Amino acid sequence: MNRGSRLPGPPVLKVSGDMGILIEFGATYDPVINNAVTAFDAALNADLPLGVIETVPSFRSVLVRFDPGILAFERLHRLMADLAASRDWYRAPPAASRRVWDLPVVYGGEHGPDLAEVGDLMGLGADAVAKAHAGAVLRVAMLGFSPGLAYLGQLPEAWDFPRRTTIAPRVPAGAILVAVRQSVLPGTDIPTGWRWIGQTPFRSFDVNAAQPFRLTPGDEVRFHAIDAAGFARFDNAAFLKGQGL
Amino acid sequence: MSGLEILSVAPTTTVQDRGRSGFLRYGVTGGGAMDVFALAEGQALLGNDADAAALEFAAFGGRFRAKGGFWVATSGAEMALAVNGAAMGWRRSFRLEDGDIVDVGAAMRGVYGYLHVTGGLQTEVVLGSRATHLRAGFGHVPSAGDLLAVGKADREASAWVLPEPAYFQQSTLRLMWGPQSEYFTKAERDRFAAANFIIRPERDRMGIRVQPDCGPVHADAGLTIASDAINLGDIQITGDGTPAILLADRGPSGGYPRIATLATADIPALAQMQVGAKFRLEVVTREQAVALLAAFRERIRALPGQMAPALRDPRDMGDLLSYNLIGGVMRGDEHDED
Repeated sequence: MNRGSRLPGPPVLKVSGDMGILIEFGATYDPVINNAVTAFDAALNADLPLGVIETVPSFRSVLVRFDPGILAFERLHRLMADLAASRDWYRAPPAASRRVWDLPVVYGGEHGPDLAEVGDLMGLGADAVAKAHAGAVLRVAMLGFSPGLAYLGQLPEAWDFPRRTTIAPRVPAGAILVAVRQSVLPGTDIPTGWRWIGQTPFRSFDVNAAQPFRLTPGDEVRFHAIDAAGFARFDNAAFLKGQGL
Repeated sequence: MSGLEILSVAPTTTVQDRGRSGFLRYGVTGGGAMDVFALAEGQALLGNDADAAALEFAAFGGRFRAKGGFWVATSGAEMALAVNGAAMGWRRSFRLEDGDIVDVGAAMRGVYGYLHVTGGLQTEVVLGSRATHLRAGFGHVPSAGDLLAVGKADREASAWVLPEPAYFQQSTLRLMWGPQSEYFTKAERDRFAAANFIIRPERDRMGIRVQPDCGPVHADAGLTIASDAINLGDIQITGDGTPAILLADRGPSGGYPRIATLATADIPALAQMQVGAKFRLEVVTREQAVALLAAFRERIRALPGQMAPALRDPRDMGDLLSYNLIGGVMRGDEHDED
């Protein structure tokens, strides 16, 4: 993809409270901006100075939280500015450590009650919606909102419809939610305004596991349709083993 | 097993410690005590580790019974307190013996009160913390019938009393402009910073809605920005123009424009403001906010030196207390130094 002069940037460093420095790579969700975020975050975490509490990558920025009693603002700011200037993050290659996930999904029925409604919004039948969703190659853009909830992007223009104006009090962990050209995969039961078209039996978040969070920004995700019997049969441990985990 | 048995408790009660760090990138918010100064007071009174967990009451307490003998302490919002029916003052450590009944009533000053135990509450640790996070289902949810195990004391505790910290009188909160302040015009920011604010009833561990007397506040741009990380104390402006200050159990990320961020040192003062309380804002620089944080931490380090011995066991003062009640004074700590 040659974006030429349309490349965003350069990244901007901003003070964020008395314990944070934010580096913004852009203002919107854009795969090029998001890839820059993932690459910068990985480079920063490869050599973190003492006093950094955590880094929080998002769609478009990285917040570095630090203890100003241990690490001087000026030192962290210089370190981040130097790293930002050290290469063109908008052309960073995808992370070598990223995983490719092929996740099973039951579309429609009790596992995705909004499938027909989404079909109406897209001018497609329910089967065509499921086929289009399962055919998309998506990328974990960020985790946020609730434990392990993954924002996956970016679906084609046809998926550019809004979230609901009302909030469903509860959708289950593993629900496949869509709107605004994104697919969202929650790790826990959540209330939501996103539209619910399917459910994966894969557990992206398990608080009791040695590795509680399975999805990482930069990971590639695609889906394949299964039936309800396949959902009931799904063995999470066997699936992870099949992934070499 | 020594422990604190819950006979009844308000449903908004949680277990809190210093919260989780390192998990914001996974969508897990920090949580932890709404008033970290009060948490530190309890650790000082009992000689507990900084990581020890306590019960956090949100304006309403509960009734408890001691199983075995151990030390406890109270801190944060001053709440009505009685041990075996005898009133006792707040912000102090005292020993419970097997079968003692502790009644914690409503908050009289402030909002978040804490009941600490020797060695901290030994509830389950989830992602490095015992903090209850109701929406995520993390941590223990205190309820009637629980027996909460207490920890081991590193050293023998004793009866201490701490003075009420000055932030319960604070009516000015310091803030810094932040990464999204530029989405608001200079005039709008000036209007916001000069306003008088009132704490609205919509408040919980996630955040507090506040009402400025300047009317709704509106962003000039930035309404289509993609979500990113939210700081403790970020002031978010939602669609109707009402500011909300985001606190311990805030969502870890969000896309509404945020006009400013409160100084970390002023979070306890805000958390303890009751519905209807009034405050003003003062814009400070990053350097000033960091200096406020350093001074805040120094006050925590100085807590042991602030503790005075509680000379008399208030449970021996039944006669004095009934005299007080007749006199209409609902405190139990006036006679401690007699």
